[in-house]
Amino acid sequence: MAPRASVVASISLAAFLLSLLGATQLRSQPVPPSNRFARDQVLRQSVLDLEAQRQRLSAGVRQLQAQVQRLEDDSARRSSAAQAAKIDLDRGRMQVGLSALHGPGITVTIHDGANPNDPNDRSLGWIVHYQDLQDLVNLLWAHGAEAVTVNDQRVTPTTSFFYAGVNILVNTASRLTGPYQVSAIGDPPQLEAGLNDANQLAELKSRSRIYGLDLSWKRVNRVSMRPYDASFLLKYAQPVS
Amino acid sequence: MLSRSVDRTARAQRIFAVSLIALVLGFLMVVQIRSQARVDESLANQDNTSIALLINDLNRGNSDLLQQTVTLGQRQEALRQALASGGSDTAALNHEVTVLGVVSGTVPVHGPGLEIRIQGSVQDFELQDALNDLRNAGAEAFSLNGYRLIASTPIALKDGALTVDDHRISSPYVLRVIGDPERLQTAADISASSLQTRVQVSIDRKTDLAITEVLTPRPLIYAQLGS
Repeated sequence: MAPRASVVASISLAAFLLSLLGATQLRSQPVPPSNRFARDQVLRQSVLDLEAQRQRLSAGVRQLQAQVQRLEDDSARRSSAAQAAKIDLDRGRMQVGLSALHGPGITVTIHDGANPNDPNDRSLGWIVHYQDLQDLVNLLWAHGAEAVTVNDQRVTPTTSFFYAGVNILVNTASRLTGPYQVSAIGDPPQLEAGLNDANQLAELKSRSRIYGLDLSWKRVNRVSMRPYDASFLLKYAQPVS
Repeated sequence: MLSRSVDRTARAQRIFAVSLIALVLGFLMVVQIRSQARVDESLANQDNTSIALLINDLNRGNSDLLQQTVTLGQRQEALRQALASGGSDTAALNHEVTVLGVVSGTVPVHGPGLEIRIQGSVQDFELQDALNDLRNAGAEAFSLNGYRLIASTPIALKDGALTVDDHRISSPYVLRVIGDPERLQTAADISASSLQTRVQVSIDRKTDLAITEVLTPRPLIYAQLGS
């Protein structure tokens, strides 16, 4: 009898836990819209849905780009004028970040530090802000970087950094989360000299020491970069003819 | 003999049932923890206003991607038709070269936008922030005191003077921007409001302004094609 009782007890306990979890799961599903919690959830779900849509659209753009490039290659074989245009096109793509690149360079890492929970410290210095990444990227450009990525997102001629609440946004609404990795292709000693310069990023370096942001960098023999995951549309700027 | 066999079958069934429940239990727990973690790590700490701004940005970004899909589809079709008729659409290739030239600042452009005039002393990071905010508002081309700018153009403070790509510039700083004047104005107003406590800033909307300055492309010495 004893073994059977223990089995029944196990099954009952398991069933109880199951129903408990089932209930928790159900409660986290959308509830009537009068509920504030439900509204918050719906708002957050919209972000996840739009991000999934963004990924689908971006994958579609990449696929179309590959198809267009194959057709361009075919066109280039038809005439010398088309071939010349194709060479210019490939060069242009490299310049704006639409080509995969690799080369020597540097990788910089940084992450949010610890909140000191000090009522006198309202600086938010322990958080990596979008301006910090912007300053890092600008410094690397100024020291000869030929191409730059932030957490694998290619920095293009039109890239901007921004924020939404606690998230850093780059390339229109791509949310970045820490730890952050900024990579650059270029002359490693020159890039490193820029980062080592005590006059550069002085405030960020000091915050890194105080709050433990672990700002660090290392030279890399080969940095690999994927191309920008979208293309460029001009809506207002027209070439002067 | 028979009763022992029935007993064994019953025990096997019980073990099977418990295992099944444990399996489902484990699965549910994982789902629960994962969905919780996803919300926690990314969005839970955000206030609703930030989320609404993010949704706005995402909508704009997705609508841009959709437009890019349409444009690329049209290019694909044009190239395919030219190939099918035995030729090649060189004009389409050259058009794309021009578009990339505008993006990389090597082609003169014109279009609607703003002319922002700053009289007084400003820091390099103040200009960098203003440019970043304008880019975030969809700016497509810039010039500052006669120099074309893209995101990689260094703006620095050297020996007390502002430099654009190592060229010294001085006040008044005249920033010309092409893009949607409405959106650019909002971004420029925010930058101006922080600058105006110290310096004089004027913002003029232009229905058509020309940016004729061009950049020389940065040579790629270390970067090689392919990942």
